[in-house]
Order: sequence, then structure tokens, then C-alpha cells
Amino acid sequence: MNCPELLRTQAFLDGELTGDAAREAERHIAACDECRAFSANIAELSDALRANVTSHRAPQALHSRIGALLDKENAPVDFIPRWRRREFWSGALSGVAASALAAAITVFALLPPSAETLAQSVADAHTNALMSGKIIQVASSSHHTVKPWFAGKVEVSPPVADFAQQGFPLIGGRVDKVAGSRAAVVVYNHGRHEIDLFVWPDKGAQLPGESTRHGYHAIFWKNGDLNFAAVCDMEGPELHKFVNLVRTEQD
Amino acid sequence: MPHLDAAYNLARWLCRSPADAEDIVQDAMLRAFRAFDGFRGGDAKPWLLAIVRNCWRNAGADRKRRAQIALPQDEDGGLVSADPDPEAVAMEASQSRKLDEVIALLPNEFREVLVLREMEDMSYREIAEITGAPIGTVMSRLARARTMLREKWTARELV
Repeated sequence: MNCPELLRTQAFLDGELTGDAAREAERHIAACDECRAFSANIAELSDALRANVTSHRAPQALHSRIGALLDKENAPVDFIPRWRRREFWSGALSGVAASALAAAITVFALLPPSAETLAQSVADAHTNALMSGKIIQVASSSHHTVKPWFAGKVEVSPPVADFAQQGFPLIGGRVDKVAGSRAAVVVYNHGRHEIDLFVWPDKGAQLPGESTRHGYHAIFWKNGDLNFAAVCDMEGPELHKFVNLVRTEQD
Repeated sequence: MPHLDAAYNLARWLCRSPADAEDIVQDAMLRAFRAFDGFRGGDAKPWLLAIVRNCWRNAGADRKRRAQIALPQDEDGGLVSADPDPEAVAMEASQSRKLDEVIALLPNEFREVLVLREMEDMSYREIAEITGAPIGTVMSRLARARTMLREKWTARELV
């Protein structure tokens, strides 16, 4: 390790840099042999780790044991716990292992994810969809087809419009997840780029505004009780143009 | 229970024995429950993982037994592959075993940042919070961890 920029290169690869800092790091990697080799190594290693390394899951017996312990723990408490406390631990406090799973899902939805988590989550969902080739589950350029398709699959009914005349044709939709919440994804095209428009229920999370992860740009906003994120590999101005179209339609 | 799998995974990678990991997670969940009023909101995962790590440090005894490394065991899940070809499945399993072993050989301070970053998707700031190390240290440890892992891994492949 000799290059003084190596840690910055690493931060870039880990998605820690945004905007100018990210672009600068990218330029440096292109110019520096050591950082380029380091990048290739990290990427390869990271792929191998994610594909091959054991991620241990808590055994069911442990779930039950902790549930029972926390039940006991709660028994002598005679004050009314704060709502967060109740909601957060409701899975454990029920004392019934079977309900823990359902409660965990509820709890996940109740605790708003951080802006950082959201930024990473939409970028991951977008890249996973692209890589698996499953970006579209319902292919149609008609909002009459795409909008009703979401009914019963997600808890939101996303606004769906076709912007073909403005250069952003509607191509379909899919169901995906954003930080644990089920989201409707309306998919658009722009030239050779695919744009994912994620829509999920607002749970009071603080949105990141704009973010860049691994070269994918995302713009977040809220409208009514819905959260939105547009994700694409296009440069900022084009994505902003798309977001403006969607938002104008909403207003 | 939210994040119990993440808590258990971190504990397993820190102590390497399933029984120790279960004790530590149980201890951590109890402490988290008692301390929940001190939780300032935001993402609960790094908060809980920090407690897991503290419990592991307090348990301490594990590090004395550091010399005898219990290799990761197969019984808890292994890897599920959609590939029906048994040879491919076996290849994948041995590949995973190899990497698991190499990670287990990393010194604690390097292993934990690697697991938090690559398996639990924690940001630098969150890793710093969990491990109590400054962000700069997290970054250099992560770089060292990756370099070491890569060297060891390549060395094994050649054997």
C-alpha cells in the first residue's frame, strides 16, 4: 500500500463518497495503477464474500429462549412503556415464537430507516434487478395495465403515467423492497437507460434528498403519505428532468 | 425480533463457537431491552450490534481460547443453491468453506470491520459507532483486512 489515495479509493468503492468527491476519486482510479488494481481486488473479493461466506441465522430455539426471557423481564414493570419500546419488542413480548416473525416485519416498518440505509437500499434494489434481468414483472407501456397490476401486490397505488412524448416511455413495473418495506417500482426508459421509480408508504423516515452509490444516482422526495425515489445510471440533469415530469404530474 | 439474525451472525463471527455466540446474543438482547429507553432512535441495527460487541468483549474468555479455532460448522444452514448439479454444489460449498476459514484466521479487529462492512452492510460511520474506533481507523483496518484476506485466500488457492 503506497498510494496516499488508497483509502479514498476504498471509500469510493464502499459507496461512502458522493458528488464531487466521488467524481474526483473516480478520476484518480482511472489514472493510478495501484488504485485500479486495488479496486479490482476489492470488487472480486467482495463478490466472493457475498456469494460464498456463511451468513449465520439465529436458530429458532434462540428466538424462543430470548422471547421467553424478555417476557419475564417485562412482567414486573408496572409503568406504561413508551410506544417505541412496546412496538420494538412486541415480537419478543408476545411469548409466542410463531408471532415473532410477523411482529418483526411490523417492527421493521415502524422504525424508520436512516437516510444512509435508504440510499443504499434503492441502489442495491436497482442493481440487483438489472443484474438478474428481472427489472420488469409486468411489461406494458399503458398505465391502464401497469397501475391495476400493483393492486393487491403492494400496499400503495403508485401514480403511473407515460412520458413517451418527453422521451421517458413507460415500460412496466415490478414489486421490490426498499429498506424492508414493500415498494411498487414503475419502470421507465430513456435512450438506453432504465429508470426505476420506487414508491413506498411514508413511515416518517428522513429521506436522503439525493445520493450516488456505485455510479447510480437517486433522487428522493415525499408526496402526501408516499415516499418516492427515482434511480438511474444517468447524469443528474436528465434524472432531474424525469423527476420534474413525475412531480408535475402529481401536483 | 428485529435484527436478531444480524446480532447472531456478528456474534458467530466474533466467537466462532455456536454455543458462545448464543450466550452472547441472549445477553445482548436482554441488555438492549433494559437500555432501550436510552436508544435515541434512527437505525436500531448498529445500536444493537454495538451491544453485541460489548457483550463479547466483556465475556472476554473467548480471546484466551483464541489459539484453538473452531471452524465454522455446516449444520446451521450452509448455502442453498438453485444449482441441481451436485458437483457444482460441492464446489460452491468448498469455496465457501475456504473463505470462511480464511476469515476466521484474521485477527479480531480486522475480522469485525470486514464482517460489518461486507456482510451486514454497515457504513463507515456505523462501523465506527459499533467498534468505538475513529472512522480513519475503521478505514485503514478495512483496507488491511481486505489485503490480508486476499493474500491468504490466494495462498490457499495455490495449495
